[in-house]
Amino acid sequence: MRNSPCYATLLDMWMRAVCWVAVLGVAPLWGAPAPSPSDWVPARWQWNDAKSLELLADNPINCLLLKNYSAELVSAAAARGLVTLAVVTPGSDALAVTRKALAAKLTGVVLEGDFPADIAAAIREAAGSAPVIELTSRSHMKLGSGAAIIGTYQGVWPGVVVQQAGHAKSGPTGSVWIDTNTGFIRAVRAWGDTPLWLANEPPAHTVITSQRYLQVIADAQASGARWVISLDSDLAAKLAKRDADAIRDWQRIGQLTAHFERHPEWRHMNEYGKLALVQDPAKGGLLSGGILDMIAVKHTPVRPIPREHLTAQSLQGATMAVNVDAEALTPEQKEILRNFTRGGGMLMTGPPGWKDPTPKGEKITLDPPELERLNDIWKDVNSMVGRRNLGVRLFNVSSMLSNVLVSADGKSEVVHLVNYSDYPVENVTLHYLGDYKHATLITPEGVEKVLEVYRADEGWGVDVDKVSVCATIRLEL
Amino acid sequence: MTRREWLAMIGAAPLVRAAGTPDAPAAPVSIARCATYDEDITAKLGTMFDQLGGLEKLVRNKTVTIKLNMTGAPSNRVRGLAPALTHYTHPKLVGAAAYHFGRAGAKRIRFVESPWAWAGPLEEVMLDSGWNPRTIASAASGVEFGNTNVRGAYKTYARFTVPGQAYMYPAYDLNRAFEETDVFVSMAKLKNHDTCGVTLSLKNCFGNLPASVYGDDSGVNEPNEKPNSGRLAVGHNGRRQPSKSAPQELHFGQNHDPGYRVPHIVADLAAARPIHLQIIDGVESIAGGEGPWVSNVRVVKPGVLIAGLNPVCTDAVATAVMGYNPRALRGSAPFKKCDNTLVLAEGHGVGTTDLKRIEVRGATIQQVLYRYDS
Repeated sequence: MRNSPCYATLLDMWMRAVCWVAVLGVAPLWGAPAPSPSDWVPARWQWNDAKSLELLADNPINCLLLKNYSAELVSAAAARGLVTLAVVTPGSDALAVTRKALAAKLTGVVLEGDFPADIAAAIREAAGSAPVIELTSRSHMKLGSGAAIIGTYQGVWPGVVVQQAGHAKSGPTGSVWIDTNTGFIRAVRAWGDTPLWLANEPPAHTVITSQRYLQVIADAQASGARWVISLDSDLAAKLAKRDADAIRDWQRIGQLTAHFERHPEWRHMNEYGKLALVQDPAKGGLLSGGILDMIAVKHTPVRPIPREHLTAQSLQGATMAVNVDAEALTPEQKEILRNFTRGGGMLMTGPPGWKDPTPKGEKITLDPPELERLNDIWKDVNSMVGRRNLGVRLFNVSSMLSNVLVSADGKSEVVHLVNYSDYPVENVTLHYLGDYKHATLITPEGVEKVLEVYRADEGWGVDVDKVSVCATIRLEL
Repeated sequence: MTRREWLAMIGAAPLVRAAGTPDAPAAPVSIARCATYDEDITAKLGTMFDQLGGLEKLVRNKTVTIKLNMTGAPSNRVRGLAPALTHYTHPKLVGAAAYHFGRAGAKRIRFVESPWAWAGPLEEVMLDSGWNPRTIASAASGVEFGNTNVRGAYKTYARFTVPGQAYMYPAYDLNRAFEETDVFVSMAKLKNHDTCGVTLSLKNCFGNLPASVYGDDSGVNEPNEKPNSGRLAVGHNGRRQPSKSAPQELHFGQNHDPGYRVPHIVADLAAARPIHLQIIDGVESIAGGEGPWVSNVRVVKPGVLIAGLNPVCTDAVATAVMGYNPRALRGSAPFKKCDNTLVLAEGHGVGTTDLKRIEVRGATIQQVLYRYDS
């Protein structure tokens, strides 16, 4: 029995359970079973009273980030099986704040900001087995560290960039430009499957409609991350009063979050596309508005490959590749790309002298000159791709971004669509490669509808009647 | 100005009109109210065609080519709205027209457009606009789609000579789809135009010009079959000639005013490639310009469809429906900074702008009047 797969699985499960109990050693164990970190659905909780937890009825949020908390709230949260994390920011009292939180029986702490290494180490030591989640600047994220969760407090606020007089701005790609964190998320997730949190807050002095909240959630989730739900003070105050409109908005936020949380398998699927992008995720990949976002605006399915993970196998299935920073490659990596072209693949490299820009401090987007240079690369990519179907071609999606994922066994794909306009988009068409004969539309509104599949150029096609904020098309053999 | 005053002004138009052609042909124009695209557009269009004398004698056993209005890239939208609700003709109208042409016995129904900076299939532009070409194609047998921005499957371009004295070019080289047609239809949108004041069935046909020949990046000697631009340098500004393979501008270098050039080119085209049937979509549209790239365009819902058998007459009625004098001179709305395309086409003998000579059937101008400048 010891050598049987069944025994190995049971042992593995038991070990995981033991570790998990250890991790939550300081957490009350008398409530509902606590979720594991990969299942934590986080929100900044702006209320101090236990009654506020009523808002979590039918809502998948199960992890509260608390700047202020009362014993009553912590106790009630624990009784509901919720994870509570104290938010600790850099400062002289960070260690004291941590100790106080753990004494108050919070589950753990979130270090938000870039802490000096010695302070962070002292906090981790003080926390013992309690979880310590680090939300750093993008450039300080510990990619590939094996942390239970990695995250950042930096992010752009997603949406169509609007120019004067209400007209959408054409970005460097010539299409409508959409501010998004998806390129960053995808670059980071190409490094590993660690749960990723984006904890940027709503922009100040701005009216945030419910639609914008839905967009920021979908922007992160469609690429496999979670946005730490964070409400502006106006909406939080209205919710505290149980204002009917605010409750409706809150329910929509819950509904959309649940759409993704109902399908944890999506988060573990692989990026799909016959175009591969070789890029250092610790450099340009950490910036928003970079080459991944530029390609995304054109809805070309692209598979980011961290330079460090570049192997012949990682390029399998790709017919085109873009090597952003040619000079950064080792001789072995250059040979891999040479072999790729010898095997019939098309390769495009960045212009001579081009260095992939690196994020610094609070800078998470490209400077205009960098954007200009990158735009040249993008034009070449666009020209190389042309009308080719590199996995999926989407039509009538100018206000949307998409992400194409494939299961490990290749038996199913999902295509996430996120609409950043204020209006639902009608009549979206999807042409895809691969012999997927079954297509299902899944929406946050609870629709699960079988779509008619028809022959299209180079493959198959399906039509989607309407996309509100987000929709997912599941393709199966 | 009150409605009564406006009608009085229209009646007094000869006093202020440009020199027209008194014997330019007149043809009836049909107007129908249509508040939304959810109404039965097919039935309304059928009634309008009947009011014009019926389609069958026009299209039976004929090849019908319909020039659509899909100006600008489909990704370029007014406030994120579907282009068909603002500056493109609506696909329901397209489908309804296909149905009627098929029912009236047309043997081939070909929808064409020269999409901005695009050499690929027109169907893909339709898909990107939220249209469903499969649905349109199912409305009748023999439906086809063609991108006239380039030569396409043809080996050469077709040359259309301007009869009489041309304004701008002696002849124009167009995609052969415009030649392989018995009945040419302009399906336009009821809109203002930043350069031409209004864009209706006449101005819609500026888009007949292939960017491969008349585009900013057209070849000097030969067409560029992968155009990636509009027609500003050749058409609007006269900064360069079209490819030398095509007839060259008559008075090149003399005039760089788009408000002069584009209306004159459009009038030439209307004479060179006659438009037999016009259908104007004024159900939902924009005012203040022809597309989202024009500042301060605004969404309007005139709730009207207009069809006719002479492009000048149809556009004259449509211009009046928009609250303008169709014979207004340069300097007056809507032709504040341009020449009047309608009057120029009238000068070519295409049709009359004189509303008194044009029989309006169905609803009256007064009943559907929708002032674009208010």
